[in-house]
Amino acid sequence: MSELKPINGNLKLNGRLTIEQLNALPEVPIEGITYEQIYIEKEPICPEYIPPDESIIPSSKRSVVIDPGRICMPFGAMWASVGVHKCIPFVQGAQGCTTYPRYTFSRIFREPVSIATASFHEDAAVFGGRRNFLQGIRNLVYRYHPEVIAVVTVCSSEIIGDDIEGFLNEAWEMLEEEFGPEIRDQLKVVIIHTPSFAGSHVNGYDEAAKAFVKTLAKRRSPNNKVNIIPGMITPGDIREIKHILKLMHIDYIMLFDISETLDCPLRLPQKMPYYPKGGTRIEEIIDTANSLATFALCPDEGRGAANYLAKRYEVPGILGPLPLGVHNTDKFVKTLSEITGQPISEEIKDERGILIDAMADTFHYTMGRRVAICGDPDIAAAATRFCCELGMEPVAVFSGTQSATFAQEVWAACEEYGYKPVIFNGGDMFEWEDVVKKEKVDLILGNSKCVNISKEANVPLVRIGFPVYDRVGYQRRAYVGYRGGEFLLSLIVNTILDAKFPDDRVHQ
Amino acid sequence: MAVPEYKLPEEFKLKCDRVIPERYKHMVLTNRQRPNIPACNIKTVPGDMTERGCAFAGCRGVVGGPIGDCIQVVHAPAGCAWYQWGTRRNLSKIYAWAGPGKLCNDSHNRRRAITTDLQERDVVFGGMEKLKKACLEAWRLIPGAAGILIFTTCTSGLIGDDCKAVAKEVEKELEKKEGRPIPVFVFDSPGLCRVSQSTGHHHFNVQFYEQMVEWRKEHPEFCMKEEEKTPYDVAIIGDFNMDWDLAYIKPLFEKIGCRVVAVFTGGERLYNLLKIPDVKLNILHCQRSCTYISDLIKKGYEIPYINVSFFGIEQTAKALRDTAKFFGSKEMMEKAEQVIEEEIKAITPALNFYREKLRGKKIGLYVGGPRVWHWQKVMQELGMKVVFGMCTFAHEDDYEKINKRAEDGVFLVDNPNEFEIEECLEKFKPDLFLTGLKEKYLARKLGVPTVNSHSYEKGPYACFRGFINFARDIYQGIYAPVWKFVKDKDFA
Repeated sequence: MSELKPINGNLKLNGRLTIEQLNALPEVPIEGITYEQIYIEKEPICPEYIPPDESIIPSSKRSVVIDPGRICMPFGAMWASVGVHKCIPFVQGAQGCTTYPRYTFSRIFREPVSIATASFHEDAAVFGGRRNFLQGIRNLVYRYHPEVIAVVTVCSSEIIGDDIEGFLNEAWEMLEEEFGPEIRDQLKVVIIHTPSFAGSHVNGYDEAAKAFVKTLAKRRSPNNKVNIIPGMITPGDIREIKHILKLMHIDYIMLFDISETLDCPLRLPQKMPYYPKGGTRIEEIIDTANSLATFALCPDEGRGAANYLAKRYEVPGILGPLPLGVHNTDKFVKTLSEITGQPISEEIKDERGILIDAMADTFHYTMGRRVAICGDPDIAAAATRFCCELGMEPVAVFSGTQSATFAQEVWAACEEYGYKPVIFNGGDMFEWEDVVKKEKVDLILGNSKCVNISKEANVPLVRIGFPVYDRVGYQRRAYVGYRGGEFLLSLIVNTILDAKFPDDRVHQ
Repeated sequence: MAVPEYKLPEEFKLKCDRVIPERYKHMVLTNRQRPNIPACNIKTVPGDMTERGCAFAGCRGVVGGPIGDCIQVVHAPAGCAWYQWGTRRNLSKIYAWAGPGKLCNDSHNRRRAITTDLQERDVVFGGMEKLKKACLEAWRLIPGAAGILIFTTCTSGLIGDDCKAVAKEVEKELEKKEGRPIPVFVFDSPGLCRVSQSTGHHHFNVQFYEQMVEWRKEHPEFCMKEEEKTPYDVAIIGDFNMDWDLAYIKPLFEKIGCRVVAVFTGGERLYNLLKIPDVKLNILHCQRSCTYISDLIKKGYEIPYINVSFFGIEQTAKALRDTAKFFGSKEMMEKAEQVIEEEIKAITPALNFYREKLRGKKIGLYVGGPRVWHWQKVMQELGMKVVFGMCTFAHEDDYEKINKRAEDGVFLVDNPNEFEIEECLEKFKPDLFLTGLKEKYLARKLGVPTVNSHSYEKGPYACFRGFINFARDIYQGIYAPVWKFVKDKDFA
């Protein structure tokens, strides 16, 4: 044990202290002592390493799911709903089904999120959730005056077979009686069925998007706008898409616009109850039936809505790819131009040129690097293609949610560039982790759930996708578009420089 | 239980609740002489924007989750397991192997999310077979664990899977495979059970106790041998090692001559937990979530327990004195006094700095339940004034304790909703709000600084030395330069 020097308030501690040393310090400094200064010796769970049973590492060979790369279906529905102005999701289920998603939103976005619960207890399981529904809707309307209530069902309400549509009819009668018939003009209710055993957050977002347009969209005169269904991308991403549209002089309807509901300024005074000032307006959602086209940026998180608008209102739907990287952004911009007749503007060409310039400056760092990618299907697929564009070799590409298009997208990109990655379409992170640890991988692109894998495999991590909660600012950055591509490229290159290059080989 | 007659003064009736007046019975002003108890531990009004969690959260997340060396299987669709995957900062020093010669990056209890990932067909046809397979497979894939803990949820509860029967079968197969008995315990606490996460605490306590008793009966080798016992064996009950609080708690008891056999459940090994009935005294910290098991052990094994608090000077000192007094050892009492004196000496200079800075500041206090009374004295020791207190899931006894420890006239709200929190922040204008992760962002949007009171900002906060960390984080909250920019009227 090292010699302990008495410390006064101003002296910073060098090195960490064992618990014993810490408790023996004659004086605690003014700064206090936190756990990063405490040395806590790890104890192995059992004395010797025992290898796992290799034969059941592939998720197809087992029932158990270890480290799912997906979260529950209602969460996706809530994500879409909180992107609507003065919309309160009302979760027809137990309190945890609301509190956990709120917790998750707050972790990622560092913002308050208002979501209400029907507060299911045993009586609801026995008698059904009718009473909870009616009382809940009434209380919400009375106190919060929302413009939209998004009713989100969960496992429990679907298992007990709550007839939400029937409940809603009753609720309207009750509301009309209490608030007058005009309540029907002031409030919209959208019902989203999301039993978690039927899908993941990705499917939940898709269901919500479909439910919103199905419930609200109405044919009027053509609006000359494009609909954008962003999918579960960051507020920064959404701002970047708006920026591109502005540079192209294209009018748009940004659906589920979390850029001003989950990333809000701290400005006083606030009105109460707290409502973020942003979010997609109901009028806009109604008007989606009259647009030039619908872009579902993430096909798995918008296919349902885009197809519905196409079938019902003949609004053509363009399903992805997510405009991340050069090829995908080019495709987005070109399609926008074709559909709207707006030329690709000089500014956009310059922004693209800057990304290309950055790629030309950095390929010596990226070429030949082997990369493992993990995320929701559309982001993972787009990130895979971007890696190929940087001359990096995708080794193991993972989507936690099974997708109809993910594997195809990844395969198409990799074939074009001559790579053959292992593709995991809807497995669990445990099997992906095994490949990451066994293959020689230089870099991981993935979310905060990859931190442990990254540390254990000693492979640096570039954070991208849902969820990033262990670092700040990522939700404000854009990964999409040319500027987003430049940001992601810088992250990738700087991470490689940090991990792979001695300082004297970087200086020149 | 009947709620005592209490009339809330008009000026304290929050405006936001005018349309749901049933909320007013959840609000009182404290009184040391005649404690005022709000309506509590009753169901939340639907649509009232509660901050409460579910029973599963209390069972798996709070009390079960910290156990360090088990495979914890969540029998549910993947979401429920995901939400508790490395979320709560209930740390442990037990790490699984990441490979030969290499340990994992995060402690075992936080490292993985293991679930049966129930699908539609399981909901229709039942998930028992899947659960059994999942447990046996998890055992092969994550070797070295001490046992398996199975947690049920709304889905597995509603489809009526008999998880206890599955556990017995898994136990049998594992014993055959390993040639030794492996405990497989089930904790049945579907999210929609009863009132709040507090229900889940209760469920875990009772069900752990029952399964522990049975296990010890069937497998006496898991009990502590007579020759291993010492006269000063204690267990700390109801501490979950938030942000390594135990780095301060355990050494204090060791310094006065106790041997801490187990902590229920902070970062603990299952086999140590099974030895709790062999100790001489249980020292109970979280008296909301763990009084149940303390009572059961007292009744079943005649092991007494003492209620303690490990926050602040006076309460931590009392915990040590009460422990020494229980054992009646003069030596221990002397040691306790000596330790208290040394500890106070070690923190006084730093503490004086913070007292100077924090004197007279107003605090809003909103935690689950117990910390609202644990921290009344702590705030007083810092010279601060608690202007309101709120609890998510407190019961009558918690409110009695708050009344006893708070100054008179502190406004209390049981199970506050979002709107009430906003109004209280506006009405009482605290200089700082001690609260959890969801609510802290709301408070900040209203310009009120916060300190995360569940997982802490930069803990540990417990005992004498942790008190300085706590004071520092409160100080940093209040004195952060950012707040002066918020107030600039030109940018309003």
